[in-house]
Amino acid sequence: MTATDPGPGPRRAAVVTGGSRGLGAVVARLLAGEGFDLVVIAREPGPLWETVKSLRSFGGRVVEISGDVTDPELRARVRAAVDRFGGLDLLVNNASELGASPLPPLAEYPIEQLERVYRVNVIAPVALVQSLLPALTRRHGLIVNISSDAAVGGYPGWGAYGASKAALDLVSVTLSHELEGVGVAAVSVDPGDMRTRMQQAAFPGQDISNRPLPDATLPFWAWLLGQPVGEINGHRYRAQADHWGASA
Amino acid sequence: MNRTAFDFDRPRELEATAPPELRGVERDRVRLLVTGPAGTTHRSFRALPELLEPGDLLVVNESGTLPASLPAQGDAGTILLNICTEYGGGVWLAEPRWNVRSPGPIPLAPGARLSAGGVTFHAIGPFPGIERLWFFRADGDVTAAMRTFGQPIRYGYVSQPYPLETYQTVFARVPGSSEMPSAGRPFTSGLVRALLRRGVGTAPVVLHAGVSSLEGEPAGTEIPPIYPEPFDVPPETARRVNVTRAAGHRVVAVGTTVVRALETAWDGTAVVARRGFTRLTLGPGRRFHSVDGLISGLHDPRTSHLALLFAFAGEERVRAAYAEAVRERYLWHEFGDSHLIWGARAH
Repeated sequence: MTATDPGPGPRRAAVVTGGSRGLGAVVARLLAGEGFDLVVIAREPGPLWETVKSLRSFGGRVVEISGDVTDPELRARVRAAVDRFGGLDLLVNNASELGASPLPPLAEYPIEQLERVYRVNVIAPVALVQSLLPALTRRHGLIVNISSDAAVGGYPGWGAYGASKAALDLVSVTLSHELEGVGVAAVSVDPGDMRTRMQQAAFPGQDISNRPLPDATLPFWAWLLGQPVGEINGHRYRAQADHWGASA
Repeated sequence: MNRTAFDFDRPRELEATAPPELRGVERDRVRLLVTGPAGTTHRSFRALPELLEPGDLLVVNESGTLPASLPAQGDAGTILLNICTEYGGGVWLAEPRWNVRSPGPIPLAPGARLSAGGVTFHAIGPFPGIERLWFFRADGDVTAAMRTFGQPIRYGYVSQPYPLETYQTVFARVPGSSEMPSAGRPFTSGLVRALLRRGVGTAPVVLHAGVSSLEGEPAGTEIPPIYPEPFDVPPETARRVNVTRAAGHRVVAVGTTVVRALETAWDGTAVVARRGFTRLTLGPGRRFHSVDGLISGLHDPRTSHLALLFAFAGEERVRAAYAEAVRERYLWHEFGDSHLIWGARAH
């Protein structure tokens, strides 16, 4: 190291969709604490602003973008923000659409809402990857797609959401193969049952207070972010499992 | 788990306050309580080879102890920062405390900074459900800071500091534990050779043990969640565990850390090579698939270790053994006596 050395390398940067509340806010908070620069995306400006304010207390740069992840114009804004950071180390596709509530069986599922579920849960993550791939490539970044146990469960009522998450799981595995050559990794994470707005919407009127708060997954995220991306690439993790590792 | 279900009386004076060597007792001459279906007997640890059969396998933890207790400066003044677990990417779980005797809590806000051994620790947030442990981002080489400025973690019942060697087992090969995996402490190289002559081999796993700091636990009725710890069960150890049991011999875990590592590596059919972080909780109702016997220190009331022991050997058998240990004035904690206990289903 010399006297003219600019010091440590570029600050790490991350994009979190659905980052104003619940799981997304837990992940964004950890990232801010770990010193990441952040782009946080959420639909409702009010809660987003509150979250971003607390993230800024860690001292890093935080850009808030309110809007819908299915909107191409929003993606252009995200890309511009990321380009100002100089690259992207982490993309967390967390924003998800539950669909109709209470959860109707597939045979009666309103088709427009089914399409919306797929647009948010499958198409938008792929579109964000396309848009941010140059920035991810520059930093050998990691794509994290938030999945669900419904992706493998076949639970009645969870057909639309579950099938969209199953599709997203296959997106993750496919990306892990297709992008290996450019050093970009992809994983799926099933966060497990949590006490969130989405859970409440899935079970309207029911008491969900026995479920853990989303911050129960914090140790998992701290672990995941500490792994060499080559060792986790292509894996599907359960954040509340008994163990996490390369073979899990 | 409700803590009161794992309560018993253990007089304060049965805490080992110094290494047995300083009491004139060699490491492998601590006492060994032996508990099996026929009840409990009293031996010297050195008699272990007689208590095992040719073909039995000891699985040991090769994790070495770090000098993980660092003096630290922050807004609260000079405190201790006891490093618990390395998460990678510069992120560490650690326990800030006032000193060896007083656990805290230390008033700390997300974004606050502590300086320890020339490294700046940026507070991220508390571990969910264990408020005394915080995640930190470290700017600097924490391992080097520990090597230069750290001491082995110590609690109030140990009256003075001892050098790091006091806290290493004969099996230590991979540094990474905040606190000594103490079940291995009574072993000596001579005893390991005697075991080999007896036909009893050893196979390694690694589980880096974090902080225990029992006095810092909340007064609540629940045992706090187990936090994840790094572990590694290598292929050769997995194979030998399976072969040993298939041949009708017994696998004896040296320490609850080993039980947790092996049970985490159980895939439903066999023990397989596996590494990562484990937060497996082994409590009431759990069936064990990889281990027939356990060598371990004596555990404190109301702890997850005791819950594991109850599940492993049966509450009645463990309570009877512990009553016997108190009556016979066995010593507790890392410098204390030892316990060989056979599982409820061991032959």
